[in-house]
Amino acid sequence: MPLTFIDIERQKSWRISALFLLLTALYFVFAFVVVQLVVCFIPGFSAIHGSFLVVQDLKYLAVIGLSALSIASVHFLTSGLIAVRQVIEQTGAKDPDPEDGIHRQLMNIAEEIRIASGGRKRIRCMVIPTLSANALAVADLRGEAVIAITEGLLSRLTRPQIEAVMAHEAYHVLSGDCLETSLATSFFGMYASALDRLKSEIAEEPRAWPIAAIFWVLVKFATVVNMFISREREYRADAGAVRVTRNPLALAEALDIIGKRWSGTGLISDGLEMLCISGPRVSDHDESEGWWDDLMSTHPPIGKRIAVLLGMAHVSASILAKKETAKPAAQTDPAEPLYYALDPDNVWLGPFRVAELAAFPWFSPKTWMSTEAGGRAARASALGISDTLFGGRGQAEGHADMSCPSCRQPLAMVPYERTTIFQCAFCGGTLVENDKLQRVLARNEGDCSERIISLVRAVTADNQRSLAIRRLRQLDRRKEPPTLCPKCGRSMFRAFYSYAYLLEIDKCGICGVTWFDPDELEMLRCIIENRITPGTSVS
Amino acid sequence: MAGLILIAAIALFSLWMVFIYNRLVRLRNDVGSAWSQIDVQLKRRHDLIPNLVAAVKGYMDFERDTLERVVSARAAAAAAVGIHEKAVSEGRLTRAIDGLFMVMENYPVLKSSENVMHLQEELVSTENRIAFARQFYNDLVANLRTKLEVFPDTIIASLFSFRSAEYFSAGEEDMALPSAGLSMRRND
Repeated sequence: MPLTFIDIERQKSWRISALFLLLTALYFVFAFVVVQLVVCFIPGFSAIHGSFLVVQDLKYLAVIGLSALSIASVHFLTSGLIAVRQVIEQTGAKDPDPEDGIHRQLMNIAEEIRIASGGRKRIRCMVIPTLSANALAVADLRGEAVIAITEGLLSRLTRPQIEAVMAHEAYHVLSGDCLETSLATSFFGMYASALDRLKSEIAEEPRAWPIAAIFWVLVKFATVVNMFISREREYRADAGAVRVTRNPLALAEALDIIGKRWSGTGLISDGLEMLCISGPRVSDHDESEGWWDDLMSTHPPIGKRIAVLLGMAHVSASILAKKETAKPAAQTDPAEPLYYALDPDNVWLGPFRVAELAAFPWFSPKTWMSTEAGGRAARASALGISDTLFGGRGQAEGHADMSCPSCRQPLAMVPYERTTIFQCAFCGGTLVENDKLQRVLARNEGDCSERIISLVRAVTADNQRSLAIRRLRQLDRRKEPPTLCPKCGRSMFRAFYSYAYLLEIDKCGICGVTWFDPDELEMLRCIIENRITPGTSVS
Repeated sequence: MAGLILIAAIALFSLWMVFIYNRLVRLRNDVGSAWSQIDVQLKRRHDLIPNLVAAVKGYMDFERDTLERVVSARAAAAAAVGIHEKAVSEGRLTRAIDGLFMVMENYPVLKSSENVMHLQEELVSTENRIAFARQFYNDLVANLRTKLEVFPDTIIASLFSFRSAEYFSAGEEDMALPSAGLSMRRND
């Protein structure tokens, strides 16, 4: 057993050469079939050379072999060099935002893992802006390695759990097995999404057929390569992560959370399955054992992985169930502190979050406040919270030109779940930059209130009715004055967040921002969290 | 003929000596660079503490004791020389910081200050980095010690007076992974 990660990294894998041979063999067969067809069907060819079978002529075989070898080399090198870039493009992964508290934490964790592994290799960490829960590692022949983690997973895990997931992925990178899977993915799996695109274009462009046929063969080959990717590597990476973090329970908890959530089916392409911590494809093989399932699946049953980790931690599985049930109570915990405030009529109101306080027109740095009902009162400025609220108004941060589209008041930069959003201090309308939207939606501040739930039900039912009427009357959109973008001043378009979540929001197509009228952001979060569709009830 | 064999044997012996010697040097240097990583992180921690103390002082007037304990532990750690003394004083500092974090949990108002949250995250991360760097360093020291004691490497080691390195540990109470349990859990 290697003592440090340095030793593991020094071990080179033979499987990469095997992949190259496989690729060469594939092209050899392909070229062979093409040449044989040419010889058989082009009149005159066989007459010149005197034989119908290419195999009998060594000259042909040598030409086929050489061309297969050169095409395979080009494919190997190009795919191998751009594997990381391809995966980043396909998943839309982005560098972490240093202004964001949780992303900064992720960058710190990446640095910690680098130190734990002896500091030899710098692994870039990235964030995939989606609400699904998954993580993946990818490496290429240039030696570049990336660990990407989805926004949904990042916001659901605690610090030790993120650390465990990062250590798991880092083990894949450092042990070299990530390079194999990345190359296999890049050679074959990557064409799954390209094939889907081609399929839709083939009707208009029949000449695309041969390319589609090659892609189809490559994608089918991915299934064969999957068979050679052992399920063991996930167990080994789990063990490696535990050796670094010495915290098996955190990884078990993280896997439990990943197993119970949407792991990105339909969003993370099937071709990338091998790279992920948990397979995004829903397949029976993944959750069962036996030689056939071992062959067909790249990931072991998540329940078994958790059982192994719990065994290392010497705890029983009931601890995970306990954590799960304890969660709602914990969510009401003051992740963000609550305040009571004295209004102009000398009545104590509250408790409120900082963002909610900003919505009161009378709220100023001189307002009397308290952190508990009947507790010691202090001026808002003395509690240090008003700086963030009023500092954003007017001169600070260079956003003085942004104002609320309905109240015309300057928007304040407000901290929100470790990131920042712009909020109108008077109506409570919110402006979110689109690249932050998924984080804002993913980071749960707690259960939604009864009022929001009722509002959501009424609004979605109403929207569904009006959508049906609009469709039947064949009208494009409702006629109402558009909201003007706070950033560029042009008209925003009002559209449903998606047809699954029937809530209308305003988007600016030019500067990439979304405007939420009061309550709309909470409503959208509530709809997504509770999966409310018109006519369903909330559990 | 006998002369040739003798020369061959001497040549083989010196090659073997060079090989062992180089391996020991490599190990010694690995240990040295692992130690410098710890040193960098300890320095980083010493630099961060005054900022955090200054940031929370206004809110935590009643916790003067806790803050003073952190400040004096930091001063002692910064002044320490030698691996063992450093390990002991840094262990004390780790416990003082953990105490401060625990007390900070009682002040929800601190969580609304982005500056305090930022400093706390940096410090938690530094604690983890120190723990990981120490884990890595101690692994290498164990490796070096084994090499220095096994036969026949021990002959070369004593011939060139290779010295064993000291483990970075502050005794039993500090052996558990620090701070992981006290880090900023948000969901549970």
